[in-house]
Amino acid sequence: MKKFICSLLLLVAASPVMANITIFACEPEWAALSQELGGNKVTVFSATTALQDPHYIQARPSLIAKARQANLLVCTGSDLEAGWLPLLQRKSGNPAIQTGASGYFMATDYVDLLDVPSSLDRSQGDIHAAGNPHIQTSPLKILQVAQALSQRLQQIDSANATVYQQHWQDFEQRWQTAIKKWQQQALPLKGIPIVVQHNSWPYLFEWLGLHKVAVLESKLGVPPTVKDLHNVLQKLKVTPAKIVLNAAYQSPRATDWLTNKTAITKVTLPFTVGGNDQSNDLFSLFDNTIQLLLDAKQ
Amino acid sequence: MKKSHLALLIAVTLSVSSPILADDVSDLKKEIDQLRADYESRINQLEQRLIQTENNSKTYQTDPVKAVPTIQNASNNNFNPAISMVLNGQFSDYRRDSEDYQLDGFSLQGEGGLATEGFSLGESEIILSASIDQLLFGQATIALHDDEGETEIEMEEAFIETLGLGNGFTIRAGRFFSPIGYLNEKHIHAWNFADAPLIYRGLFGNQLSTDGMKLSYLLPTDLFVELGGTVGNGDQHPGSGEHSGIGDWLVYARAGGDVGINHSWQAGISHWQASPEDRAYSGGHDHGGGGGSDPVLFNGDTDISNISLIYKWAPNGNFRQKNITLLGEYFYLSENGQLNNSAELASYDGKQYGGFVEGIYQFTPQWRTGVRYDWLGSKLRASDDELLEDADLDFSGFHPQRYSMMLEWLPSEFSRIRAQINHDKSSRDNDTQLFLQYTISIGAHGAHSF
Repeated sequence: MKKFICSLLLLVAASPVMANITIFACEPEWAALSQELGGNKVTVFSATTALQDPHYIQARPSLIAKARQANLLVCTGSDLEAGWLPLLQRKSGNPAIQTGASGYFMATDYVDLLDVPSSLDRSQGDIHAAGNPHIQTSPLKILQVAQALSQRLQQIDSANATVYQQHWQDFEQRWQTAIKKWQQQALPLKGIPIVVQHNSWPYLFEWLGLHKVAVLESKLGVPPTVKDLHNVLQKLKVTPAKIVLNAAYQSPRATDWLTNKTAITKVTLPFTVGGNDQSNDLFSLFDNTIQLLLDAKQ
Repeated sequence: MKKSHLALLIAVTLSVSSPILADDVSDLKKEIDQLRADYESRINQLEQRLIQTENNSKTYQTDPVKAVPTIQNASNNNFNPAISMVLNGQFSDYRRDSEDYQLDGFSLQGEGGLATEGFSLGESEIILSASIDQLLFGQATIALHDDEGETEIEMEEAFIETLGLGNGFTIRAGRFFSPIGYLNEKHIHAWNFADAPLIYRGLFGNQLSTDGMKLSYLLPTDLFVELGGTVGNGDQHPGSGEHSGIGDWLVYARAGGDVGINHSWQAGISHWQASPEDRAYSGGHDHGGGGGSDPVLFNGDTDISNISLIYKWAPNGNFRQKNITLLGEYFYLSENGQLNNSAELASYDGKQYGGFVEGIYQFTPQWRTGVRYDWLGSKLRASDDELLEDADLDFSGFHPQRYSMMLEWLPSEFSRIRAQINHDKSSRDNDTQLFLQYTISIGAHGAHSF
């Protein structure tokens, strides 16, 4: 017992010396990016996995405990986490992560969003007033966020600013090279007609010039009804599509229904880091995403 | 002659060379074709390179970091609080007369009775919340409900709370639901059943609130541990009377966490204490002697302890598709003091206890079902049995029980239709109760609390 207390005291005493920046990332892509940009100066925790729907997370005790200890929140923003993040902030008793504080970083604040609704009405489903928040499906958006996030890290932990600057430059170079490679690889995908389950992909589509033919969820966030699916089926008779896309965390029921009815190929994309065994980091996430699309095209 | 000679020569040469020339032309054609193909492929390549450089130059332009977007149309109403409203209505059907409802061993207070039979508008709530400034958050919940033909307005909650006070501390002041049990801190519309657990009904008249202050402290550990306490004015049932200082207090401790990715849990204990002054038992019955107009009063000390356990399961921790919630709570009330009415006085020693367990299974994003079991008991002693009887506390020893089952359809995150059936043994007269209920929320997005 004495030993335990001693080691506990030591731990408490030693913690300011180690003083890593503790990052609470709401989604795995921001956890991965934080790790890229922070290296060994940061300790990163991801509140969700790629197999969880980020709209429907509960403010679980474990998340409150993590939020309490965080120096920096790195989240998507634009109401993606509206159901749980404000609660975590309030319950954490942690001034560092309150809205507007230097430890409050929302990725969508630093990019232009697509699909900004012209009118707000819940009869259209669970729409996001600020625009579509799923920006991590485009590496161009990730690059913009990375630059802003690196600047934020340099601001919060100015003692290590040069380290973060180096990490940023290194990341930017590798990322730019990778973007060129991906764009080259994805050239054959241009204009390919695709059906999506949830409107999760506008940034990927914009980047690669893919063509969205239909969305299975006629109302955002509401599982499609049989009628919705039949409507899609009718649409496909006029404008056939090659691929139906869903994300790893989404239920495959609706897409499976469609693949049974038509000759369409189903592709389950990782959507974020950890969405399948091949997507271990941001680089392999896009390697894998493009590979899966190319495989499906043939 | 020479001229014609030359012409002939040319003609001959031409005629001789013409087959050779034809050969050359086809060769030339081939060559040209090849050249064209070559050019086409080269042009294609060039085109591709152009696209590429276009793309590349696009990516090279990492814009200077965008500042947090400016808000257009800045006007005064941009600072409106988050407003949401919860509406609900229900149809209730009881086999027995709801006027005769009693919970043996408990004296029902406040809203503790059954909902009006037939169609009724349940409680409608208006919830306003916002950050007040850099330090404080404020929330008010205004409840509207009908009581005997009149619409009553009730301030259910109105509190301010510190925003990131630091070191895991949070202070709240105002009126708030006491952190005594797990369900108590949730709004009724967030409960899993249409009616309160019997123990909540029996002890608190559905829910316990505090007018006062709350302090909580969150440990800086990965295991969630929260310690806290409240002090209040002691006038909320089962407290009573005016207290110049602290009328009631509560201490609580909670712990929780995840086990793997699929399981999460929370456990809590709490203890509440008050010294009620002249707590009146309205008593549902008039025992002929005018007991209704001469209420029995309690003076003494009341202690309530609670233990609660919550376990949740969702495959991959993804609550959207499928999840199970198991919840159990137990309360133990012990009080010591005196009962009196205008004529008599008796010493009183009461124990009331009980709890509930419920299991909820959400099997698709839009459907949930659940079961609940309630069980209560009491041991009430007074030096004068007549006073006990007048206070409606004379059925001690009986164990009320209730079995409930519900099915919910959730068209979206903002609406719910629920059907519930109870087999109710609150008293010796069994009852079957049926509820059909809708609950919707409009306005600001609600919170997904654990």
